[in-house]
Amino acid sequence: MKNPYEVLGIREGASEEEIKRAYRDLARKYHPDQYANNPLSDLAQEKMKEINEAYDFLMKNKGSGYQQTNSGGNQSSYTGRSYGNNQYMHIRHLIEMGNVAEAERLLESITTRDAEWYFLKGAVYIRRGWYDQAYRYIQRAVEMNPGNAEYRAALNNISFRNTAYRNVGRGMGYGTGASPCDICTSLICADCCCECMGGDLISCC
Amino acid sequence: MFGYITPYKEELKIREYSLFKAYYCSLCKTLGKEFNQIVRMGLNYDFAFLALLLSSIDRDRDAINMEGCIINPVKKKPVVKCNRNIVYSAYMSMLLIYYKLLDDWKDHHSFIALSAMLPYLASMKKAKKVYYDKYMDISNHLKSLSILEKNQCSVIDESADAFAKLMQSLFTAPYINDEKTIRILGWMGYNLGRWIYIIDAFNDIEKDIKQKNYNPILLQYQYSHGEEWTAFIDRIKEPVERSLTFTLDNVSKSFELLDVKYNRTVLENIIYMGLRRKMDQIFVRKGCNSNEKSI
Repeated sequence: MKNPYEVLGIREGASEEEIKRAYRDLARKYHPDQYANNPLSDLAQEKMKEINEAYDFLMKNKGSGYQQTNSGGNQSSYTGRSYGNNQYMHIRHLIEMGNVAEAERLLESITTRDAEWYFLKGAVYIRRGWYDQAYRYIQRAVEMNPGNAEYRAALNNISFRNTAYRNVGRGMGYGTGASPCDICTSLICADCCCECMGGDLISCC
Repeated sequence: MFGYITPYKEELKIREYSLFKAYYCSLCKTLGKEFNQIVRMGLNYDFAFLALLLSSIDRDRDAINMEGCIINPVKKKPVVKCNRNIVYSAYMSMLLIYYKLLDDWKDHHSFIALSAMLPYLASMKKAKKVYYDKYMDISNHLKSLSILEKNQCSVIDESADAFAKLMQSLFTAPYINDEKTIRILGWMGYNLGRWIYIIDAFNDIEKDIKQKNYNPILLQYQYSHGEEWTAFIDRIKEPVERSLTFTLDNVSKSFELLDVKYNRTVLENIIYMGLRRKMDQIFVRKGCNSNEKSI
């Protein structure tokens, strides 16, 4: 087993609070939802397992009792669900295993194209990195069967991940600095305020 | 098609900024050493990023020396000691610049491009010998790209796929053996290549309308003649931005799986902020694209 502190990215002897915070951040980062239909999802799962083990180990050895950590969440797993159509189940399995080419070949051989067909085609496209097509196909699936929660979740997952990506940048300071324009506007604003109060900040205006 | 991968300077520490520059300088010097002084002029930041990324997952931390430069021999600057990643990035950047010039010559019969190609000929021979597989990969993917263009491919994803695969090949340096690392770098390269291709096409919309060039965005969203280019952009902005942001999300997801040993903050800066800034700038299209010139 790797050094659990290293896995969680904290210094040795970190407090329980720090361990928990680090764990929470990492669990969010490598959550299966963040890697839905990503060809690297198996590697994210491995990473998640490593993080869970490190966290469990540290918690156990803190003497605070063993804590079962539940990080699996609502993984969008295709297997183990019951679907009427055997062919679709097989295709879901192929996508899950990363055999995108075979999944696509089978999809192409189906002539009656219902919501499920569009949904699976969308999943294949995400795996291939064709996100624009993926969005269109999943959107079509939602339109054809608006009651299906899985289709809607898959469509929302794209917007959700775009927001997540932007939030990381914002957390690092993206867009928080003042531009030269902002500075001027604030100065003029401050000047107006000063004048209102009877003072003056910029004497010429 | 180059120069889209840059750091977000506002949030870089001076130390990190010098580090990025030290890789850039080292890459530039290596181009001069391996090839010639003219090839050196074609260098851009995209390949400094590749050199930095590959060095950051390699075994040893890179040493930095103070060295003079042909442009300013007196003033010494920090330069990363040359390593295999920098040599590899130098070869790849040379190959791509050559093919870009070749493309310009074929498309527009630009004699500037043709004469600019001359200093590359000997270098290309050398590159073909040293990295034969990559040489073939690049030329094959560019061939499929030009076929797609010739056939007026109207699916953005499909056109982008050829360039994305080219970058996928570039990112997986041939001396990396770890199967997982190869997969991660490959997917990161694929998505970066896809992003560069689409953002470049978006950036060229106005020009391509005027010059009647091939542009998959114009074809997919059925640009009709006489339509104002600003109106067209308003019409397509949302789906294009969504697909581009999702592509960047996939770049970052790959990056988070890499075993990064050094320079993490600089890499994070580029991936989460630098790329996004480039995209935001192009989308906002304000008149002032000031403080982004050169480092």
